[in-house]
Amino acid sequence: MTDTEPGAGMNKNSSVAPIPSANGTATAVAEPVAVRIRDLNFFFGQGDLRKQVLYDINLDLPYGQIVIMTGPSGSGKTTLLTLIGALRTVREGSLSVLDQEIVGLGRSQLVDVRRNIGFIFQAHNLFDSLTASKNVEMAIELTEDWQEKRERAVEMLTQLGLSDRVDYKPKSLSGGQKQRVAIARALVNQPPLLLADEPTAALDKKSGRDVVTLMQKLAKEEGRTILMVTHDNRILDVADRIITMVDGRLETDENLAQFVSSHDPKSLDRRMFVM
Amino acid sequence: MRSPLRTPLAWFNLTYERRRLLTAIAGVAFAVLLMFMFRGFENALYDSQVQLLKLLNGEVVIVNRIKTTMFVPEQFARQRLYQAQAFDGVEDAYALYTTTANWKNPETKQVRPLRVLAFNPAKPVLPLPGIMENRAALELPWTALVDEKSRAEVGPTEAGIESELAEQQITLVGTYSLGTDFASANGNLVMSDQNFLRYFSNLGPELDSRSLRTVDIGLLRLAPGTDVDRLVAALQRRLPNDVLVLSKDDFVQKELDYWRNNTNIGFVFSLLTTMSFVVGIILVYQILYTDVADHWAEYATLKAMGYTNLYLLWVVIQQALLLGVMGFVPGYLIALGLYQMTANATGLLMQMTLFRGINILLATIVMCLISGAIAVRRVQATDPAEVFG
Ligand SMILES: Nc1ncnc2c1ncn2[C@@H]1O[C@H](COP(=O)(O)OP(=O)(O)O)[C@@H](O)[C@H]1O
Ligand SMILES: [Mg+2]
Repeated sequence: MTDTEPGAGMNKNSSVAPIPSANGTATAVAEPVAVRIRDLNFFFGQGDLRKQVLYDINLDLPYGQIVIMTGPSGSGKTTLLTLIGALRTVREGSLSVLDQEIVGLGRSQLVDVRRNIGFIFQAHNLFDSLTASKNVEMAIELTEDWQEKRERAVEMLTQLGLSDRVDYKPKSLSGGQKQRVAIARALVNQPPLLLADEPTAALDKKSGRDVVTLMQKLAKEEGRTILMVTHDNRILDVADRIITMVDGRLETDENLAQFVSSHDPKSLDRRMFVM
Repeated sequence: MRSPLRTPLAWFNLTYERRRLLTAIAGVAFAVLLMFMFRGFENALYDSQVQLLKLLNGEVVIVNRIKTTMFVPEQFARQRLYQAQAFDGVEDAYALYTTTANWKNPETKQVRPLRVLAFNPAKPVLPLPGIMENRAALELPWTALVDEKSRAEVGPTEAGIESELAEQQITLVGTYSLGTDFASANGNLVMSDQNFLRYFSNLGPELDSRSLRTVDIGLLRLAPGTDVDRLVAALQRRLPNDVLVLSKDDFVQKELDYWRNNTNIGFVFSLLTTMSFVVGIILVYQILYTDVADHWAEYATLKAMGYTNLYLLWVVIQQALLLGVMGFVPGYLIALGLYQMTANATGLLMQMTLFRGINILLATIVMCLISGAIAVRRVQATDPAEVFG
């Protein structure tokens, strides 16, 4: 693991209290973090149908850290991801993304926040009508870089091993290749924060592994923060830190070693992480 | 390949599925064609009704006061024309006699009504090429010129054809080109006033025989520089009240107004045009909606990435406009062909003018914009948070 500038605080994080108590907050305020969540509650619906989905979330994601979030289905992982991604409005608590408090921001300000975040979804969501390169260029165009968009798109796709596929449309790409194009699209603007929701769910073992390894490599080289929701045990080893969500609450917050030892070591073969 | 411009997403999305694109274009083209045809018929109705009037030679028209439209077969005393001729500024006065008579198709022997236009061939009353050339032949007894744009029921229209008009022998001595309208039945026959007398002065006792003492339409040629409106006012004031004096422009307008206000035909065609427009809106909406619905996850992803609603609205509107233009071209070309066919088959004046073409193009664009505006609401409602799931 290379120690890059933005990742300077990384080593500390595993010792930081997973869920800071009220007095613990003071220690965290000092250093800049990619995501800082304080006392966040979230509800779906209104009136009688109002249902609380997230309870009292406190979480810091330092720059440069790769964090995997697991937990049973329906526990609120996706909801938390969409909140961090400025895709839903938070009403209770504090949520700071890339050093900007986003609670209370208007619609267009949220759009600006989103431009600094890379999103990777379970489905690739590429336009069938556009080539791999054009799909990636759509992201570059957000930065108004018209002159070099093609070069940058090709370069990004090359980094993801798709140099011979830049002018293919999604129909002629395999599932893993499509997801890699989607990752290229998410990474090409070098967003400091990457949010991924089960990015390997639709892929077979090998391509899922490849995709995650690439994400890890690129993130580490550039010091990006990654928050990835996954149920895929085989890719846990890329994580610096694993958090578990249960019934809308952050249940555990551990580094890889702690996680492995506390999660039924018999069923989870350590050797698979060694490669 | 460098492409320094914004990726034309609308174009790529629209053209990606060829079959769907062709269906979409066909749909728009069909709506365009319907609008062109109904508009064309409506315009032909109006254009045809006044084409003869517009060609008549004279700046001022005199008709019987109760002749509210060309359909009304009322004449006025020829005396009035002589009186009008005495006015300052009036250079010449022409009498036009019209009637409807039965014509026997020389081939099928079927009898069809034709409108007869008669005047003194020495005067340029209806100065069309075919008529001016054949003035000498018209002076011969029992002759007439026939409109080559007459309905097919009239039969062959070459010079030399012999047949019967009002159950009397007639020889066609030439043709001219005019076209039919709703008052002219199957076509127009032009003859001299003397022949008019020969055919229609001694009709049976139950029919109104005609003479040259009563005129259907009087035309006044004015000296250059004459104030038409003042002369018309003076004539109307000083001539007996049994005639109506109008400038030719007003006369044409009056005829158009009659058709606009007193028939449902204009309304029916306007309604049909509007319905085609609405059908077009629904078709285009359907196409755009399907596109947005099929790609909602991609559009939502764009929103998540930081594209604004405005950008996505623009993509949908662009697709609407592209569809409009791509559908307009074939619709226009097919309409041109059908106009020609309709004109040939019916003699109606199906005219495609630049103004009318642009008119329908604008209607098509508005049609697509309305569809786009409705479809766009689906994009706006797309919640990027829903892509995660
Ligand atoms: N748009 C929504 N409206 C109402 N309830 C929702 C919505 N999305 C998710 N939920 C509910 O919120 C809870 C958490 O969902 P989610 O965040 O998707 O969980 P996870 O991603 O961990 O499976 C679930 O009970 C789910 O039914
Ligand atoms: Mg989920």
